[in-house]
Amino acid sequence: MFAYSEDSYESYDSYEVPDAVTSAYLNSAGFDASDPRIVRLISLAAQKFICDIANDALQHCKVRSSNVTTKSTKTKDRRFTLTMEDLAPALAEFGITVRKPPYYV
Amino acid sequence: MNSVHRKLLVTSVSSLLLELGFDSAENGALETLTEMLQSFLTEVGNSSRACCELAGRTEPLVGDVILALVNMGFEVGAIEAHARRPGHSTVPAPVPSNPLKQLSILQAGVKQSHPPHIPAHLPPFPDPHAYIRTPTHKQPVTEYEAIREKSAAQKRDLERALNRFIAKTGETDSLFLSQDNIFPLIASKPNFPPYLNALLPKDQVFEFEEDDSNRSPQRKKKDGVKEEEEANKAENDIIDNPYLRPVKLPPNKLKIKGLTQCTLTT
Repeated sequence: MFAYSEDSYESYDSYEVPDAVTSAYLNSAGFDASDPRIVRLISLAAQKFICDIANDALQHCKVRSSNVTTKSTKTKDRRFTLTMEDLAPALAEFGITVRKPPYYV
Repeated sequence: MNSVHRKLLVTSVSSLLLELGFDSAENGALETLTEMLQSFLTEVGNSSRACCELAGRTEPLVGDVILALVNMGFEVGAIEAHARRPGHSTVPAPVPSNPLKQLSILQAGVKQSHPPHIPAHLPPFPDPHAYIRTPTHKQPVTEYEAIREKSAAQKRDLERALNRFIAKTGETDSLFLSQDNIFPLIASKPNFPPYLNALLPKDQVFEFEEDDSNRSPQRKKKDGVKEEEEANKAENDIIDNPYLRPVKLPPNKLKIKGLTQCTLTT
């Protein structure tokens, strides 16, 4: 299981999700984040959450583009673009259904 | 929520995508991930607060957060491995904006302390400019000499200005033979017969005479009745010439004698 050590999360530098932003959103949820380590843990978890999804989407993208490129025989210098076509199946693996909103308000 | 936080979330999602190997992203996909990140953070906060309040605490512990993450179906053990991964990029924390400076209240003058009859607990006096009155006009000068000098100066200025005005508007003579106008003189217009002006009668007001006539009745009242008759006689033959004075009649001989006697005796 998860082993929580006292100083493990403080030793890391700041990551993609800044702690200030995390604690601001936590405060908006009624969560009084007085301990910086807890905030760091949550921002790491959020990062990992997004990272996993994006990684899945990247695999989808690679598979799809390799299928296309084999037809067009352009194997080199591939550029990966995150699209909803790739993101939707990746999210579906995590049990999240993404639908276009019927209209923008 | 704050748009600054939202922007930072977009930045962090973008940097994560770059790190994974994406080169670009659709706007809609990026927005979806940002929205998911935001709702994830809010949801973790919400449910961990619920956990800690269920346990009867006010401050959440790590256990509450982990419980909340597990409840959401999150794999907690993989966090540390994710944190230790090599080659992660960082997003700088938002720089707090400078708070507005509290404007100091302008103080004018020195505040007056309480006079002895006012108890100390009452509020202090306001700034002196709120109640002190200072006259801004000068006291008018009433000295005779100053007024006299002022009126003389005014008269002189007026004459000079009038002279200058006429010299500028009317015809001028030059004091010297040259044609320059350095010292202009008002040109005199000679009348045809030069003596005519002196011969023509003019209305003249003799203020001295009027003054005399005003004084004379006052004198009459002071003196006796007998003299009044004499004065009436004198008024009857009024002298037109202002340079002549009415004749002064000597007083009664008897009176003079008495007066002289008295002076002699004394």
